[in-house]
Amino acid sequence: MFRLPFLVALALVTAFGLGIGSTVKMLDASAGFGAIKLGPWVAFPEAQMPDADPYAKSHRARAGKLLLGSAEGLTFHAGVDQDGKPLSSYCTYEMRGQTPLARFWTLYTANAADEVLDPGPELPSAFNAWNVLRRSDGTFSVVISSSPQPGNWLAVKRGRPYRLVLSLLDTPTAGSNGVLEIDMPTLRKVSCS
Amino acid sequence: MIRMALFAILTGIIGAAVLHIVIILALPTFTGLDAYTRLLNEDAENRFVLFDAKKDTAGFNNGDPYLRVAACMFSVDDKPVHLTAGSGVPLWSFTVYDSANDEVFSMNDRSAAGGELDAIIASPQQLASIRKADPDVISQSVLIEMPRSEGYIVLRALAPTPSFEEDVENFLSDADCESYE
Repeated sequence: MFRLPFLVALALVTAFGLGIGSTVKMLDASAGFGAIKLGPWVAFPEAQMPDADPYAKSHRARAGKLLLGSAEGLTFHAGVDQDGKPLSSYCTYEMRGQTPLARFWTLYTANAADEVLDPGPELPSAFNAWNVLRRSDGTFSVVISSSPQPGNWLAVKRGRPYRLVLSLLDTPTAGSNGVLEIDMPTLRKVSCS
Repeated sequence: MIRMALFAILTGIIGAAVLHIVIILALPTFTGLDAYTRLLNEDAENRFVLFDAKKDTAGFNNGDPYLRVAACMFSVDDKPVHLTAGSGVPLWSFTVYDSANDEVFSMNDRSAAGGELDAIIASPQQLASIRKADPDVISQSVLIEMPRSEGYIVLRALAPTPSFEEDVENFLSDADCESYE
């Protein structure tokens, strides 16, 4: 007697549960298609454009961020290290090399919602193209760790997940499709404690 | 019974796929969380609102620790908008977005004449009459055509060290986006 209503309910629950669940999961996981992936670094140069894909449009409508325009720059995120393992605040990483051609760049840590993280008062929480210490060949190395390090130390709080945000300002990278030419800094795990 | 249940689940999965597509396509129009809708809560009509390192009531902040951000809402329904700002910061850039949060135009100080920002945002008809009234306007202002009448401007300036904070704040608070006469 209750067979038909039960079956209808089962179909509806599956449809709405899976339909809404998969959409939310998809939009939380990625900012759409059209990503540039360079080692651990990911950027979405077309996310703010009118011809962005529907997932990118939905993602930006939910996130509501003021995105960088194509002449302004390009933001790369890294949530994993060079080997593809998720970044852990219990480990020390070394970011090494050079950024692609840009007039300026900034580096900081953010949480999953893209809010800037504050490791604590008086601790180095961000670097930029001017204040980073470089080697004589122009390359640099930034050590990301929860304990103090010599050189460029980017502090993170122990036990708090983070990802790295590298913004290139006024860069030809944002406008060009010649992504193969881009050299991003490497991000290697040094040790864990 | 089990076969019927499997059939119901299969129907549900097909329904889920349809629902997924419908939500993805429709979402941009009704989230209420997109930047344009939230900027309506700011008092930013034809004036730049400067953001802070902390989130304000509408949920906007500078984001990047070295960038200072301001935004202005405008409509070219009645009149074009004249966007002006000075210079004196290491780097500035702006992007014009329409009400669907699509980028219409963006540029930075390297492409501005004399490093100063001067742009006119207008509908296609208004642009035609501006060009007609003053053919020389193009030599001093960047002309930007809006496909929709409503939109917003995001203006960013760079403060690489704390000593630039004052210049950057002056730059952003002196920026104008008033109606063009």
